[in-house]
Amino acid sequence: MIFSTLEHILTHISFSVVSIVITIHFLTLFLLVDEVVGLYDSSEKGMIVTFFCITGLLVTRWIYSGHFPLSDLYESLIFLSWGFSLIHMVSYLKFKKRKNNLSAITAPSAIFTQGFATSGLLTKMHQSAILAPALQSQWLMMHVSMMVLGYAALLCGSLLSVALLVITFRKAIKIIGENNNLSFSLGKIQYMNERSNVLLNTYFISYKNYYRYQLTQQLDRWSYRIISLGFIFLTIGILSGAVWANEAWGSYWNWDPKETWAFITWTVFAIYFHTRTNKNLEGVNSALVASMGFLIIWICYFGVNLLGIGLHSYGSFTLN
Amino acid sequence: METLLNPSKTPNLFIPKTHLFKLSFLHSNFNPQPHSSYSRRPLSITITCKVKTSEGRKNDGKNISKKIVLTDSAPELSNEEIKAKPKGGGKTWGVIKKFPKRVLAILSNLPLAIGEMFTVAGLMALGTAIDQGESPEYYFQKYPEENPIFGFFTWRWVLTLGFDHMFSSPVFLGTLILLGTSLMACTYTTQIPLVKVARRWSFLQSADSIRKQEFSDTLPQASVSDLGVILMGAGYEVFSSSLPFQVTANTNIESYLNSYKHGHHVFLKGPSLYAFKGLAGRFAPIGVHLAMLLIMAGGTLSATGSFRGSVTVPQGLNFVMGDVLGPTGFLSTPTEAFNTEVHVNKFYMDYYDSGEVSQFHTDLSLFDMNGKEVMRKTLSVNDPLRYGGITIYQTDWSFSALQILKDGEGPFNLAMAPLTINGDKKLFGTFLPVGDTDSSNVKGISMLARDLQSIVLYDKQGKFAGVRRPNSRLPIEIDGTKIVIVDAIGSSGLDLKTDPGVPAVYAGFGALMLTTCISYLSHAQIWALQDGTTVIVGGKTNRAKAEFPDEMNRLLDQVPEIVESSISKKPDNIGG
Repeated sequence: MIFSTLEHILTHISFSVVSIVITIHFLTLFLLVDEVVGLYDSSEKGMIVTFFCITGLLVTRWIYSGHFPLSDLYESLIFLSWGFSLIHMVSYLKFKKRKNNLSAITAPSAIFTQGFATSGLLTKMHQSAILAPALQSQWLMMHVSMMVLGYAALLCGSLLSVALLVITFRKAIKIIGENNNLSFSLGKIQYMNERSNVLLNTYFISYKNYYRYQLTQQLDRWSYRIISLGFIFLTIGILSGAVWANEAWGSYWNWDPKETWAFITWTVFAIYFHTRTNKNLEGVNSALVASMGFLIIWICYFGVNLLGIGLHSYGSFTLN
Repeated sequence: METLLNPSKTPNLFIPKTHLFKLSFLHSNFNPQPHSSYSRRPLSITITCKVKTSEGRKNDGKNISKKIVLTDSAPELSNEEIKAKPKGGGKTWGVIKKFPKRVLAILSNLPLAIGEMFTVAGLMALGTAIDQGESPEYYFQKYPEENPIFGFFTWRWVLTLGFDHMFSSPVFLGTLILLGTSLMACTYTTQIPLVKVARRWSFLQSADSIRKQEFSDTLPQASVSDLGVILMGAGYEVFSSSLPFQVTANTNIESYLNSYKHGHHVFLKGPSLYAFKGLAGRFAPIGVHLAMLLIMAGGTLSATGSFRGSVTVPQGLNFVMGDVLGPTGFLSTPTEAFNTEVHVNKFYMDYYDSGEVSQFHTDLSLFDMNGKEVMRKTLSVNDPLRYGGITIYQTDWSFSALQILKDGEGPFNLAMAPLTINGDKKLFGTFLPVGDTDSSNVKGISMLARDLQSIVLYDKQGKFAGVRRPNSRLPIEIDGTKIVIVDAIGSSGLDLKTDPGVPAVYAGFGALMLTTCISYLSHAQIWALQDGTTVIVGGKTNRAKAEFPDEMNRLLDQVPEIVESSISKKPDNIGG
């Protein structure tokens, strides 16, 4: 009883704190940066609070259920949210003071996954269930935590790539640079472009374009770095899963739907890395591949579970 | 600080008497080994000269600029290989080169490789979308010709291309093989030469070329040697050249050596510096490719050389391993261990308080041909039994029989049959005739069970009579018959297999994990040049492009400013 109450409290605290953090993010987006530096800092502190709340939530569940809290979709969603806030924390601690684009991705991702996990859709799953015989292994911790961390990092990285694509392609989008004073509309530029014989205007355009270029380049580099990190987790996750399968199911590879989709995800991000080795394909092309990867992760993560097919649904060995 | 001077070991380093401050394992890689006959002597010098002289010969028609030393891209490399040919072209090389080279070039083509990966991914996705391993009738019904999916996809596609068994279909395996050969070709033609290039390192002698790097900065009132110490502290391998030398096409090794013989005390006094970090990160992708190839080889061995089989054995019965195991491919060869006889001593389940099954256990004894017990183990899910290359897994269970006493007589064994009602997966039932068993309309008691824990009994009319647990010895009276349920005998569902590919696959897994992690390292290179009291620093990195400027700025902030600009004071600064 006390555990479920504690769990409830922690869920609500973390959820509200992330909401506040996102509100602050929007404020910093639309107001002048200089005036809200303190606010921005407090939003970072808010993320740290969120991180510890979700950690507490997971630990509570662990003690309560007696097994590593990654046995169903609800727990893995909470863990995914934890992964987002972890990435946020690490990037914050590593690049102190410097505002990076990553926090704009991680904070909303954390709130969305957590919101989805705690929403009515999955209420039936809130009760921590028993562990199926096939899941009773030390590999559970290694395999599932690595997979979910991998998903978290890959989702962040591919979202950055999606942002890059949006900035590159959307005509009327406003550019959010390091400084919001520089916000301008592309339409305006195009208009000015038409009559760009005025030297001042051309200077202005190139100045703006330079910021735009710098931003897309930053997005590109960050998404590459984070996808690389997620790829490591994904690789370790898939391979430890294969070793586990060889212990539990009789073969290290069964072409089970979830397994196959994880491999598809892995292949797509391998393609992403290969597109980057070619200078001509870098940038927009690799970002396209990464945003494809974004969709595939969701198919892999949710699609297979919702359909409940294959060995990963554990239907074949339980008594229901 | 100890400096290591080993000119004898570095005849091919082109800039002898440079000082390796850290002699890590990577450095040993720097000593070129006589790996291939064609490239040993002339090639290395040729390339070096070209590389070094590029700055002086910019107008040269062949645009082999300094980029060659630094670049990641393959085309220039193959350029070098071609140029090297007339000088060092051995006969063997020439033979290998003719036809296979074209094939290699096609296979190692990047867009082709990307296309293959997309194809593999697409086929796998299709394999999960189409239900696998069904009968042809199923596909006739699901993909009818009258109503094709996307206007063209019918059962003809599925059956002709073998998409009903995607992961063993020729199309899929063919694509995988093609991908494997591309992997090999790419490793051979692109990645290995990349190592040769990356192992070369050079000082940049012109301020312009340093400023052209992705990151560059100018430090007034600073010294290269301070920078070197700071870079070393940050984990860089630092090399410095003590004398400003101008390399031309005519410069040879001897002249380098002569020019360096005079510089005895050359500890960081040089005006030029080269430093790098994370070289392993540049080589690791080769390891990733090789690990993938190892896994593919292991997987092929698994597919062609395995035995598999599954068996459901009631508690107390025996089977011989070889009877169960069937070969999966032409390389499958049985072993001595196949004669082992397996006896199921006991099959039982653990339950949670809620009544759900928590674990399945089977107590097995293994007997060799002489009837001697060679092994005994209780296996469970996640804890298989391994003997003589054969692995036995707990994968399933079944209800074999119910042992009962009828009116004190018995015990009788009633065979339990699996019932499939409403898609129920595990429901077993049996029937005990009561009264006149010869009549055409036999009536009796029905017994149903979902697990080995509790048996539900129904009377002749089919009405619920009661629930009994085995071993409880509590009799139940139905229609005048007294029944005691003595025991519930389960069958253990076991999977057996041998897999000769596992060691190779596991080795590949280990290598893949390791090399993927190392691949995260970013190969950073830094050049610096002392220009009077100013130091010009430039650098680049291949992966951590986002973090690199930050790291560089942080390091450069640490470089002390020299107030009284005098070069002679610097060694003291370092010492202190």
